[in-house]
Amino acid sequence: MSDELIQIETPFVFNEENQREFDELIGRYPIKEAAMLPTLHLAQRQAGYITPAVMKYVAEQLEVTLMKVKDVVTFYPMFFEEPVGEYVIRVCHTLPCALRDCKEVLDYLKAKLDTDIASETNLAKGTTADGKFTLMKVECLASCDVAPVIMINDDLYKNLTPEKVDEILSTLSS
Amino acid sequence: MVEERRILYEHLDVPDINTFDVFRQYDGYTRFEKAIAEYQPEDIAKMVMDSGLKGRGGAGFSTGLKWSFVPRDIKPCYLCCNADESEPGTFSNRYVLEKNPHLLIEGILICCYAMGIETTYVYIRGEFTLGKKMLDAAIKEAYDKGYLGKDVRGTGLNIDIYTHPGAGAYICGEETGLIESLEGKRGQPRNKPPFPAVEGVFSKPTVVQNVETLCNLPFIVGNGVEWYTKMGPTYADTRNDPPTPDPNTGTKLYCISGDVNEPGVYELDLGLTCSELIEVAGGLRGEEVKAVIPGGSSAPILTHYELDTRLDFTSLTLAKSMLGSGGIIVMNETRNIVDCLLNIMKFYAHESCGQCTPCRWGTPWVRDIVQRIADGNGRKDTITRPKFGVTESGRWGDTGETEEIYEDLDLLESVANNIANVDTMTWNTICVFGIAVSWPAVSYMRKFRPEFEAAIREGKLVTLPVAEATVPPEENYAYQQRFIPKEFADL
Repeated sequence: MSDELIQIETPFVFNEENQREFDELIGRYPIKEAAMLPTLHLAQRQAGYITPAVMKYVAEQLEVTLMKVKDVVTFYPMFFEEPVGEYVIRVCHTLPCALRDCKEVLDYLKAKLDTDIASETNLAKGTTADGKFTLMKVECLASCDVAPVIMINDDLYKNLTPEKVDEILSTLSS
Repeated sequence: MVEERRILYEHLDVPDINTFDVFRQYDGYTRFEKAIAEYQPEDIAKMVMDSGLKGRGGAGFSTGLKWSFVPRDIKPCYLCCNADESEPGTFSNRYVLEKNPHLLIEGILICCYAMGIETTYVYIRGEFTLGKKMLDAAIKEAYDKGYLGKDVRGTGLNIDIYTHPGAGAYICGEETGLIESLEGKRGQPRNKPPFPAVEGVFSKPTVVQNVETLCNLPFIVGNGVEWYTKMGPTYADTRNDPPTPDPNTGTKLYCISGDVNEPGVYELDLGLTCSELIEVAGGLRGEEVKAVIPGGSSAPILTHYELDTRLDFTSLTLAKSMLGSGGIIVMNETRNIVDCLLNIMKFYAHESCGQCTPCRWGTPWVRDIVQRIADGNGRKDTITRPKFGVTESGRWGDTGETEEIYEDLDLLESVANNIANVDTMTWNTICVFGIAVSWPAVSYMRKFRPEFEAAIREGKLVTLPVAEATVPPEENYAYQQRFIPKEFADL
């Protein structure tokens, strides 16, 4: 992946606050490359998703090749290479949640949001037309005692039923 | 009824225990102060060895022994705290991080003092945003109070703790995967040896410990080894002559979920039986126990015949399963085992890191076979072969009967065993992810074979009654080596 192959739409730079946080991060590790995951998290929070420009910027900051950043981004499911909705809804569907009817919650969300479930290679499939929500299935969220659970952005919602989903969605929409 | 014994979780529900001042009121950091005032680092390491503490992350390896492998003359040495809790069915670390993060910091301080470590990375799951926030706040408080940073409490020790967020990959819970991920690469496990204790993160000696293991340290130091070893059974390892003690000491944070009335984390002495634990968790939701997964989704399943198995490291290993991370998932009579296996295999097919060919290709293959069976398209050999056995004349030969061959079940076992062989316990992959795939695949299939056969025969999922669905112990060679271990004191 050379520079010519990447179409960089908008160049990316950290804003002031993130730059400060990044400078602090770098000091934690004996090698710069080790700050890769926290830096990518930071960049994703600012840019919304990891664009080629973000990758190029991160590569420069960490003094690694662009390919190395791409390598990492493709490995971890929490990094998005496509635009996602304002709210990313992660529905856990692993065994303990499945035993507590997560399918009902998932089907309800699908019908309610009128969207399909995003796959890792096609996030647009699970994003609503207004770009507000992205619905995706994830593996165990480590909250099996309060199953079924979903995570919306950084917040965990427990013991879900269709009624509770309604409630949550209405607070988010308003 | 077995009583809960809350040690790690004792003050979990105290309001504001996550703040330094409240934690301090409940003996917070006094154990660390005792450690630096009364003991030399070597004494602490010896105490941990004598306590018999086994790593709570999954492998159940003796913590003291692990520490003894770390070369003392190579500096810097790192501590990686594994808070990448991703095993389905496990959720005890989350509560420690969210509610009582100072306890973890105290554990880390004691470990750092014992091993002469200056830098600790807490590798925390990317999804644990609240846990990371709480831990970060607690770390900041500890720095302000002088328990972290340069010259801790005037002792000359320099200790730093940093949190490092993961990004949703299950394999980063494997210790070398975690190290790779910490170095900013894909979380693909490394070949061992060299073990992390000798060459770990940044090519330096590294101690990798689970959150729960580290949280045990303040109590071992504070209350002494003798107090600690009274909890939980110590078995006799009769492979050695004379028998050596095999400790399963301490409490365990059992995470119980699935078909029980009160799912949650219960802190109990190691060594209670499976049925006792279900009773503690408010009893079964449903009529009958069909199956129990004893140690997170990668552990081989237990049937209703095995509910008397004690949930500790040794007993479960002898029952050809494992305690793993202590995530117990209970299934009642309404559950279909094929469906459950399909769910778990989808998980593993998604989470394989793709480094080793047998796992990269084998895991989706196993998933596809189970999917096929669940969809009703399971392959049954069309030719029925003669069934050999004792004939009417009393001789061995063709009995005149025919038997159906379930091609997909043979294939399932063969593919799974070629990722990692569950009978010989050898794996064709770099890390133990391979065995985590084939263990459930083979054990579900062997122990609940009638249900798999019925799904193939009928062309749809059939949930059989518990008694019919389970292969009796005497017919199932997975059970053959099973025996109840003797306690050391009884010898």
